[in-house]
Amino acid sequence: MEALIEEIKQHLIDALNLEDMTTADIDADAPLFGDGLGLDSIDALEIILLVERNYGIKIDNTAATRPVFKSVRSLAEYVAKNRK
Amino acid sequence: MNNQKLIYLGADCLMTACGDRAQTYAALEAGVSGLKQDSALGMIAGRIPDCPSVEGCTKLEALLVSAIRTVCREAGIDAADPGLGIVLSTTKGNIELLSGAILAEGDVAEQIPQRAFLGSTASKIQEILGLAQQPLVISNACISGVSAFVVGRRLILSGRCTRVIVAGCDTLSRFIATGFESFKSVSLKPCKPFDAERDGLSIGEACGAVLLTTEASEALAPAVLLEGGAVSDDANHISGPSRTGDGLFFAIDNAMRQAGVDASQIGFVNTHGTGTAYNDEMESKAVTLAGLQDKPLNSLKGYFGHTFGAAGVIETLACAEEIRRLKVYGTAGFSTLGVPCPINVSSESVAIETGRCVKTASGFGGCNAAVVLALASLGDYPSDEATIAEMETIASYSLDNGDQPFAEYIREQYRTLGDANMKFFKMSDLAKTAYIAAENLLRGHDLHADYEERDIAIILSNRSSSLDDDALHQRNIDHLEGASPAVFVYTLPNVAAGEVCIRNKFKGDNTFFIEDAPSSLCEDYTRYLLTRGHAKAVIWGWCEQLGNNCKAELKLSITK
Repeated sequence: MEALIEEIKQHLIDALNLEDMTTADIDADAPLFGDGLGLDSIDALEIILLVERNYGIKIDNTAATRPVFKSVRSLAEYVAKNRK
Repeated sequence: MNNQKLIYLGADCLMTACGDRAQTYAALEAGVSGLKQDSALGMIAGRIPDCPSVEGCTKLEALLVSAIRTVCREAGIDAADPGLGIVLSTTKGNIELLSGAILAEGDVAEQIPQRAFLGSTASKIQEILGLAQQPLVISNACISGVSAFVVGRRLILSGRCTRVIVAGCDTLSRFIATGFESFKSVSLKPCKPFDAERDGLSIGEACGAVLLTTEASEALAPAVLLEGGAVSDDANHISGPSRTGDGLFFAIDNAMRQAGVDASQIGFVNTHGTGTAYNDEMESKAVTLAGLQDKPLNSLKGYFGHTFGAAGVIETLACAEEIRRLKVYGTAGFSTLGVPCPINVSSESVAIETGRCVKTASGFGGCNAAVVLALASLGDYPSDEATIAEMETIASYSLDNGDQPFAEYIREQYRTLGDANMKFFKMSDLAKTAYIAAENLLRGHDLHADYEERDIAIILSNRSSSLDDDALHQRNIDHLEGASPAVFVYTLPNVAAGEVCIRNKFKGDNTFFIEDAPSSLCEDYTRYLLTRGHAKAVIWGWCEQLGNNCKAELKLSITK
């Protein structure tokens, strides 16, 4: 799980242009949206794409899947459970 | 009575998914949608059934040339008339030409074909029609068409033109289709504006043109006036509309003030109504803020789809027809209201008593626009646009990366500002250029201390529109992993102005012109806004970026 968390952090930095950030700067349990990393709705769409492209998992952007986007850890847990 | 010039809508021309002018109005009358499953794009779309062809022209140019020719012929005016101005509204112009031209790697700036530049389209149209003046191009996202009416009206009121043809066009492309798909905002079914089950927009193509003139035409009775128009920004988010509807409300409110009317004098409202969850929700709030929630209200996107740069033109023309017939067309696709504020939408057409409407549009970059149209026979004429102030320029700032690589230059500039805005590095290079120039220009000026948010405007122009980012999107869809929402959202030049508005909470007019080189256009337009009371502070000037080069020359002017 920790390796997957590191990997997802790096994908986020690359896909979202988190300039000057390293994986060590991202707290796996901090909220992705709002206060934490300060991501927005466009970033959410980019995260959906990166999960689809890297792990072959399609996530619908609905209320039911919202908890998946809570933090890097919740995202990694979802990927671990659903990856093909 | 005052000395205000009255602006009439003259001869017009329409080409939509429903057909030509007569076929389009017959379809609106009968409630028949032109949206169909489009085999080329693999989605529902509104495609013009029979496009005209003109030798040496692309599809987009041929549509515009034919529409402008029709208007000149029917109005009996000479295209070469030196007093005739043409305002072109398009978001993407000849964007199809990027397909095949943009390669998997290399400097995109060297791969963009000359004819993909909007100025090249304007020159082509000028050459074929023999126009005295080169058309003025507005590329202001989805408000472009309504914005073109606002600008066209001001060109006449300022005396710059004696009459103006407003022409709008965008054509279907993989570019637009893939972009909106990546945004998850395309519905699998024909769009359902304001409906409880709406789940996205339908894309479309269309072309429309109309003469704005100070002379009423007997052939077009009853005469319809363009009484007022205004543009605003909600300064909320580049792709997410305001949660309160305040930005659109400011545009509606300013347009109604110019028309000299209040809500009781409005007969109906034609909204943008795209069928996306957030747009329609925001519009219901703005219309309610303006006190128009009980008026019959419709969206025409269910007939033509969202036709981008054409939308504001063809929908405003449909409004004029509704005013002449005293009838509001039904909203195709609508059955059950699903927006937070109770507004008066109907799937069936409704008779009205007052021949006056508010037409709105909203778009990426947070921009909003509204115009007021009315039967001339109503007689309560617009308020005078008198000169009430002088303009004073109080700051200027220029930047130019010269020979330094853009990425290195702009990073250095950002570091010098010393702020920490996480959003900066996600912006397109054009938006970064505008952001850095505006931050430096505004240093030491606290505009909010002296002015309301809605009185601070931004008027920009450039040559390359958003072609740098457009080429990146084309590369993504042709050669890389597919469309990226973060790239696609910046494929509109005014989004760069939107970033400045968001950063600084500026909610006044914002207009983005495309011109071959810096001219007096932005300054003249700024002077009009400031001296006629439409803004109290304006950030204006040139903001260009393509490939490795950026150049901005911004000024800050205020009323004196």
